[in-house]
Amino acid sequence: MNNINQIIFLRFVFIIASQILIFNNIYVFGISPNIYLIFLLIFPLNYNKSLFYIIIFITGLILDFFSNSYGIITFSLLISCFLRYYFLMFSFGNFDMGKVRKTADYIKETNSYQKTTYLFLMYITHQFILFTVEIFSFEKFYWIIEKTIISTIISIILSYILILIFFRKNAR
Amino acid sequence: MRKIVDFFIKNTDSLTFTFLLLFSLIQIIDKNYFHNSKFNFFTNSFVNTIKENKLELIEYFELKKTNQSLINENSFLRNNTNLYLKDSFNFSQKNYLYTPAKIISNSIKFSKNFITINKGTDHNIKVDDGVISNNGIIGIVNNTSPKFSTLISILNTDLNINTKVKNTNHFGSLNWDADSYEFINLYDIPKNANIKIGDTIISGGMSSIFPENVPIGFIKSYNLPSGNNYYDIKVKLFEDIASLKNIYVVKNNFKYEIKNLERNNE
Repeated sequence: MNNINQIIFLRFVFIIASQILIFNNIYVFGISPNIYLIFLLIFPLNYNKSLFYIIIFITGLILDFFSNSYGIITFSLLISCFLRYYFLMFSFGNFDMGKVRKTADYIKETNSYQKTTYLFLMYITHQFILFTVEIFSFEKFYWIIEKTIISTIISIILSYILILIFFRKNAR
Repeated sequence: MRKIVDFFIKNTDSLTFTFLLLFSLIQIIDKNYFHNSKFNFFTNSFVNTIKENKLELIEYFELKKTNQSLINENSFLRNNTNLYLKDSFNFSQKNYLYTPAKIISNSIKFSKNFITINKGTDHNIKVDDGVISNNGIIGIVNNTSPKFSTLISILNTDLNINTKVKNTNHFGSLNWDADSYEFINLYDIPKNANIKIGDTIISGGMSSIFPENVPIGFIKSYNLPSGNNYYDIKVKLFEDIASLKNIYVVKNNFKYEIKNLERNNE
């Protein structure tokens, strides 16, 4: 499994299927964990940028179709795409984007505080944008904050475990 | 000309990003309209067949529960046959047509939730039809394709439903505040109404969408804000929307007649 596109395709199918078939049916405190963000979290760093955006866009679109939410997941995923670069720099220190560095290296070399910071920043911004766009008004600001915090905590715990179990070896 | 091409080559990444972002924004804005774009029809045919297959698999695990609820409904109907035949239900049976259907996808985690069911225009379902279950109102059809249709769920902050309190016959309107999927808020009940905790809330029958006297829930708590003439009431739903599977689409046979008549008055 050396071909990078093969790996991405397999992950694409695996993550989307598990989100749609399993995690969309789990409700904890009125929200369901969004583990699909893992696909973005461990996406190869030295990949073509335009293709990266398009792949993430298609992912979001499919997830939107299956959870009856017209376009909000796509929108917030794309914003997260844009922010990912800065969060990577913040949590793992400066690095050269041109260099071939695998996500597996990051998992091995960094300690758990750095990993948690990265996950926390990605999830909290993603969920915040998701719920803000969904309700489309600041009247229920308290509702947005509450939902964001609950789903962030649950999703971080789940995705941390899932990444360590499934994507440790062949992460790129 | 060459400069323009150069510009495009240089900024491919950010241009694709902006284009895709705009596309998703258009989708979001589009959802507020009743009649959605053609894009939705694509989703209705392909995606929903997968959803339906998934449902078939999951249904096996819930056979016992479904059986139990069917037995309950059956015994209830058998016990009340005489009552229905004598009462005004006789009229409403002619007036309303019930089509059984199944929910193939549902959500409760957003503030504007939508439901997909496995019946469409082939089964004579149209936009604006009501949807109920044995113990509650579920939503209103907002989009149809030949085999599937989507509903605005009762758990959607945009939906208002006309209801009344069973004991006092006071009319109010039901609206979800996106807090918990078990509770829903009832507004516009005047302060002279003699309501109590535990009173049943039923559908009002003022609109031509739902039949009258469909049970919805009971009053969990209420308070009267100072300087206000109307109660704020919290209603607990009879139906557990999170685990709902079997529903009925309700069609009012005289809807167009009523609408035409109302239009003449304007």
